[in-house]
Amino acid sequence: MQQAPLLLSFAILAGTFGVYAGLFVSNQHHFLTPFEGQSIVNTAVPLVFAAVGQTVVVLTRGLDLSVGGVMALTNTIVASNMHSSTGSMVAWSLIGLAIGAGAGLVNGCLIAFGRLQPILVTLATLSIYSGLAIKVLPEPGGSIPIEYTKFMANVNGPWGLIYVAGLLLVWFVFRRTPFGVAVYAIGNDQAAARASGIKVRLVKVGAYVFAGTLFSAGALFFSATTLGGDATAFDPFILTSIAAVVLGGISFFGGRGSAVGAVAGAFALTLVTPLLFQANVNQLYTDAFQGLFLVLAVVLAGLVGRLVSART
Amino acid sequence: MTVAPAPVKERIRRVPEVLTPDRLRTIVAFVAAIAVFGIGEILHPGFGSAESVKAILLTASFVGFVAAGQTFVVLVGGIDLSVPWVLNAGAILVVTTSLGQDGRASWAVLLTLAMGLGFGLVNGLAVAFLAVPAVVITLAMGGVAQGLTLGLSQGLTCSSCASYAPPVIRHAVTGEALGIPGGLFLWLGIALLMTFVLGYTTFGRRVYAIGNNAEASFLAGVNVRLVTVVLYMLSGMFAAFAGITLAAYGGQASLGMGDPYLFQSIAAVVIGGVSILGGRGNYLGSTAGSITLVALVTLLLAENMPDWGRDVVYGGVILAILLLYGREKTAV
Repeated sequence: MQQAPLLLSFAILAGTFGVYAGLFVSNQHHFLTPFEGQSIVNTAVPLVFAAVGQTVVVLTRGLDLSVGGVMALTNTIVASNMHSSTGSMVAWSLIGLAIGAGAGLVNGCLIAFGRLQPILVTLATLSIYSGLAIKVLPEPGGSIPIEYTKFMANVNGPWGLIYVAGLLLVWFVFRRTPFGVAVYAIGNDQAAARASGIKVRLVKVGAYVFAGTLFSAGALFFSATTLGGDATAFDPFILTSIAAVVLGGISFFGGRGSAVGAVAGAFALTLVTPLLFQANVNQLYTDAFQGLFLVLAVVLAGLVGRLVSART
Repeated sequence: MTVAPAPVKERIRRVPEVLTPDRLRTIVAFVAAIAVFGIGEILHPGFGSAESVKAILLTASFVGFVAAGQTFVVLVGGIDLSVPWVLNAGAILVVTTSLGQDGRASWAVLLTLAMGLGFGLVNGLAVAFLAVPAVVITLAMGGVAQGLTLGLSQGLTCSSCASYAPPVIRHAVTGEALGIPGGLFLWLGIALLMTFVLGYTTFGRRVYAIGNNAEASFLAGVNVRLVTVVLYMLSGMFAAFAGITLAAYGGQASLGMGDPYLFQSIAAVVIGGVSILGGRGNYLGSTAGSITLVALVTLLLAENMPDWGRDVVYGGVILAILLLYGREKTAV
């Protein structure tokens, strides 16, 4: 019963994939090739990272709307500085991750030590980080060395899945660390967590730093596949990362859910665009369908919640 | 020894009657607005001139319209993130349905306001009946509004998308009477109406009651769900209304014209001293917040601040005011 939301998220993913594959086969008269697999995986990976980061803060009963700004800042700084030497690629990747960690540190400190509402703090920092990203790169541009793209996103197959597997490994380790346990404890009952000796404020800051680092990791992969920088390309991640968390069955009241569900949710949302393409729907409607997906998911979750609570 | 506290108690009781913390915050917000104009006049002589003030107030009125709806939902501890694209959809809907003809204007306006009410209805139903967090549902409906706007207008390339707003609407916003633009009369009317509704009606009392303690107001017989749904509908309607006035002001609709109004409306509400936890504040504060914010940004633009700086200022102002007013009481 506790696994029900997780099973639901996989059912949504399977259903979405089924519809997509069905449309694809009826249109193209052959099954998906490695090219489609690689393209879907490469599009999904940045969202997978963003969704897992969002999961961590949602588990603490928080929310991070600054995800779009953090990713934009990472992308623009890396795209305007990285060169094709190995040293430069390693250094700027690490700097990129540090940008996310730093941005998360600012969010976390304002929320935990400033005692402010996560929604408003991250809305404000979203504005600040996005503004800084525009300062770094006023027009889409910059460049990412082709070697970096080859290393991060192999064009011959869905190698991006290795990053997803690595991320899931990090997640399973995280859940078993005292930090991970504390994140769940705070989400379930902050007062009880404090009473049992958990340093609530530090754990909250840690959660935002962890989330920010994951956002930047997603932005690095995004930079590698798009070959450049664009300060305005990341706004959709605010909606989609939260939608993936909802589809993944993670409770917005904290303490319940697994990043595995969010990963499934991220893939389901990524399939919306190719699905619409196969269904011959104008791509301009993508936001509407992703939003509708989210509306249906929360409405379903709400109805299921009412049924369950009515029975007990 | 027991005699001493008496005068202290009396003094505490007397002061708040005139200057409640809520009123004080509203006054502070107005003082801040006047201070920005004062500083502007010193740095750029002419910044405080009648013409300049008029232009700034008219720009602030658009923020004020969106902030009216935002004030309503924030007063019950909610938030509306769908405003930018409901506003944009409103601006496009009013020009494409009126086709710039006065004869169609009234129907176009009614249809547009109904569209805003419709988006708000979905938001409100989800928040009130399914306990969906306001951020999640309003973000989702914002996405739906964005996708529908882009899709139905073919990315604003549709044949009627280039239509102008009907002259009668444009005149209502930009036309001057007694030297004051019509948009400011509209804003004054809305401010009076909002103040009356919030301060002097049963509905207003219920809004504050829900914001302070939804459970207690439910037990006291307030139809919490109905009031919540109505508030979100009003927020959608005000966003659509702002879209109409912006299309009237600029003449035409454009894509992305609603984007600044999310941060601006929330910043205006926060500067105006409306508590983000609900139950405290009023619309006069939000009007003062709108004026302060727009005057500040205009001044910074006059100081040659680049475009990106505006975003940083919005964020910085929200954070600064939150640190002053918005800290939760419970020590962690």
